[in-house]
Amino acid sequence: MENTLKLNSEELQIQGLLDSYLKRRTAGGSSTAAGSHLDEDTLSAFVEGSLSERETLPVVNHLVDCSFCRHVTTELIRFDLAFADVPVEIAETEKQPAKISEILSGFVARLFGGNESAVFAHQEQEKPEDAEAEKTEDQPEPKE
Amino acid sequence: MMTEATQQTEIPKECELLIEEIFNRCVENAPNFGVSLENYKDSLRKTIRKFINSSNREVSAAELTDFLNQIHADDLLLAIGCANGNERAWWEFDQNHRKFLERGARHLANTDADARDVVDTVYIELYGTRVVDGERVSKFSTYSGRGSIRGWLRTVIWHSLVDLHRAAHEEISLDEMTETMGEGQFQAFIAEEPPDTEIALDEKITVERYRPAVVSSIEKAFSTLEAHEKLLLLYYHAESLKLREIARLIENPASPMRGWFQRKSASREKNPETRVHESTIMRWLEKSYSKVLQTFLAELRGEHKLRENEVAICLELIKDEIANRSIFQSLKPT
Repeated sequence: MENTLKLNSEELQIQGLLDSYLKRRTAGGSSTAAGSHLDEDTLSAFVEGSLSERETLPVVNHLVDCSFCRHVTTELIRFDLAFADVPVEIAETEKQPAKISEILSGFVARLFGGNESAVFAHQEQEKPEDAEAEKTEDQPEPKE
Repeated sequence: MMTEATQQTEIPKECELLIEEIFNRCVENAPNFGVSLENYKDSLRKTIRKFINSSNREVSAAELTDFLNQIHADDLLLAIGCANGNERAWWEFDQNHRKFLERGARHLANTDADARDVVDTVYIELYGTRVVDGERVSKFSTYSGRGSIRGWLRTVIWHSLVDLHRAAHEEISLDEMTETMGEGQFQAFIAEEPPDTEIALDEKITVERYRPAVVSSIEKAFSTLEAHEKLLLLYYHAESLKLREIARLIENPASPMRGWFQRKSASREKNPETRVHESTIMRWLEKSYSKVLQTFLAELRGEHKLRENEVAICLELIKDEIANRSIFQSLKPT
């Protein structure tokens, strides 16, 4: 708690009391508010301040009661601030876009011990005309 | 999950036309993502229904238009392309966001190995390994475009890290787990036990007599605040967010939280784009303390019918509370 607020003695006392009350109210508490937790989409949009008033009010009400979601937003705010002044990095441009399997192969190898078929086995079967097109056009067109 | 009512909510015709306009603009920028208009509309329809159902208040056409114009439309197109498994979309995503993901994971995780695991897991989750009704379910399909794709990715990384820890320590609850995470650790509060001093009997009696009034009055005073004021106090006291961190949360001039605090302030109308400084957050906190104090004292005098000398005793008790945190020792967390 930063002690830079201009408070009179009674307000200082109430600040201290609130500090104890709110910490104790939250400490070790079950994080579950009524209903389920907020989804990632809503949490991230809230932290960015992108939600409308209509959407924000139920979110704020939830965050008051749900310590878990509040913890998540707290961490996301800190996370966001930590990168606020860091320029956006973009990977070196490759001339030819890689296939998804190439992009994911390293990850798959580490997670599934090199068996990427575990991930791609369910991929939709190529239609014959698609397969034909693949022969002549191995890579997608670069972005215009 | 959408309820039946949500699914049945009708989307106004004007919205459908605006979605087409937005889609055409996006496709001009990224023609190779293989996203159809119907595909794009389906995604936005779900988001619109969620928006409409977020409140019982009727939504106006202007509100819906504003809502659609605020969608991160290009990010949404990219996400839908990736969810569909489009090669070009994945390439764009990998080029533009992989470093961000890696950096974020390194920032949050305790070790490089954990960070690598998180990035691996996030990529696989984004692609999707679960198949439902013969269709691969990509994490990208949960992105609605309400916030930026990077903001959404931050949340995905964070949750992935929590899951990673949970898998490693299954017996530990989600709340406890969040305390063990890297920088920006949760400030778990462990209430100090009151010092083991001998308290005079009459003092004990006084404490026992007035403690319930103090506890119930502060509870009442907090409960009468508006939700955004409560959240501000919780962020500051329970989560130990710093003033500049809270300021960051409401940096966006369109943030409703900011609007609620500034509603009665003339300065907002003069210059709505003004940055929120730490001093502004301090003023909002001061106002909240002042409101709590007024209600607290009114409760002691009104509800508990305490005389002025008894109110003074309660304020003395508060000093004691600040010194050794004894008043709330029996308070159950909510």
